Amino acid sequence: MVAGRGGDADPRDAPPRRALVRSGGSWQLAAPTEDAYSVSQVNALARRLLETSLPPFWVRGEVTSWKRHGSGHCYFSLRDANAQLRSVMFRLDAMRLPTDPDEGMEVLALGTLTLYEKRGEYQFVVRDLQGRGAGGLWRLAFEKLRAKLDSEGLLAPERKRLLPRHPTVVGVVTSPVGAALQDIIEVIRARAPWTHVLLSPARVQGEGAAQDVARAIHRFTRVPADVVIVGRGGGSAEDLWAFNEEVVARAIAACPAPVISAVGHEVDVTIADLVADVRAPTPSAAAERAVPDGASLRRELQSDRLRMRHGLRSLARARAVQLAGSRDALEAAMQGSLEARRERLVTRTHRLDALSPLAALRRGFAVPLGEDGRILRATEDFETGRAVRLRVSDGHVHVRTERTSPLEGEGS
Amino acid sequence: MSEAREDAPGLERRIARIEEIAAALENDRLELQQALALFEEGIAHVRAAEAMLADADLRIERLVEDGRGGVITEPAGDRA
Repeated sequence: MVAGRGGDADPRDAPPRRALVRSGGSWQLAAPTEDAYSVSQVNALARRLLETSLPPFWVRGEVTSWKRHGSGHCYFSLRDANAQLRSVMFRLDAMRLPTDPDEGMEVLALGTLTLYEKRGEYQFVVRDLQGRGAGGLWRLAFEKLRAKLDSEGLLAPERKRLLPRHPTVVGVVTSPVGAALQDIIEVIRARAPWTHVLLSPARVQGEGAAQDVARAIHRFTRVPADVVIVGRGGGSAEDLWAFNEEVVARAIAACPAPVISAVGHEVDVTIADLVADVRAPTPSAAAERAVPDGASLRRELQSDRLRMRHGLRSLARARAVQLAGSRDALEAAMQGSLEARRERLVTRTHRLDALSPLAALRRGFAVPLGEDGRILRATEDFETGRAVRLRVSDGHVHVRTERTSPLEGEGS
Repeated sequence: MSEAREDAPGLERRIARIEEIAAALENDRLELQQALALFEEGIAHVRAAEAMLADADLRIERLVEDGRGGVITEPAGDRA
């Protein structure tokens, strides 16, 4: 404000207006004048007094009537049993709060006193607000988000994906300048140097870190990895806060590759740890979970090679034994069939024998034959005096016909 | 990623196949000819896997936005 242009001029620029004036040895009330302080001047003066007389201090009390305006400023009161203190937290400070405090929450507030000149009300401008009791606002924010994600099923054990045992590409979301990255790289180099590491850099703390981490995780939807490590080294609860933000939790849940979280130290459990498929206590431990150990992998391959050789050999042996068995069976079958044939031959010979005239000759029959060798069958074939040969079992007998006497009723 | 690497089966698939083959060969229901073919395939995978493991040169790349909505990789040093 420019001096002398109105009632709300800076009181420092105005001449002092005194209501009491010294007259001789005593104070006297001055006459009222037209150049009395304006209301604005008084409030500005009071504001200046409040702001300069007390350095920043902590106040403890209960939060009541918390209201976050669209502007981002937060208005509320602090109170105890007997008094209330109007308070405000401006946007840039309020943005750093993990969550809004609940009504009645016990807090410690750091700030300075000032006066809101328009209303002539003094108020406490809060720069930092911490919940009292276990974890304070951080714990409150954590529990709120955990409950929300849990109700959506994002923390369910059955959502957890298995890690690949032999990843080729390992994604890493962390600060490109942090110790965590160096730890991860050293472990992978020592255990599985054939691995391809894809660093997706992110700011892991400070303003906008959560959005940055989420964006870095999201890059793996464009360039695939077999497994993704998300993490950072240790730090204060505020340093780790990005990993407790919803946007990071959702990015992890949506990551196409399984995610190993490694935030801070063993004792720090973040929302990211709860959503991740596997939680590792430290970045080095995350790298150990991500890649196999090369030496033991080589031993496994060697043993697989032996298993295959041994398997093939015993298979071949089993087949050889089977083959030998088949040959025996075949031979036995052939043998059997020969025997059967021989037997059939003998039977048939006997049957032939039975039909042979030689058998009849042996039983005492004789066959008469003419000179021409024809068999003589009836009496009429035997003319008296005809020379006949009788074929008997062991030769011929030469005889002559004396007479014939046909039997009645028999004929040829 | 180089094209050659993308086409060839990765370590994960090779080792899974090796274990499958080893288990099949230990079960003696196979025909000898089939077993022989599996054995050759398995040994080829073991050799390829061992060759992959022998690559001791840790490759580190960094993902960056290409400014057109895509993501590209660029080589990163040890300090990435």
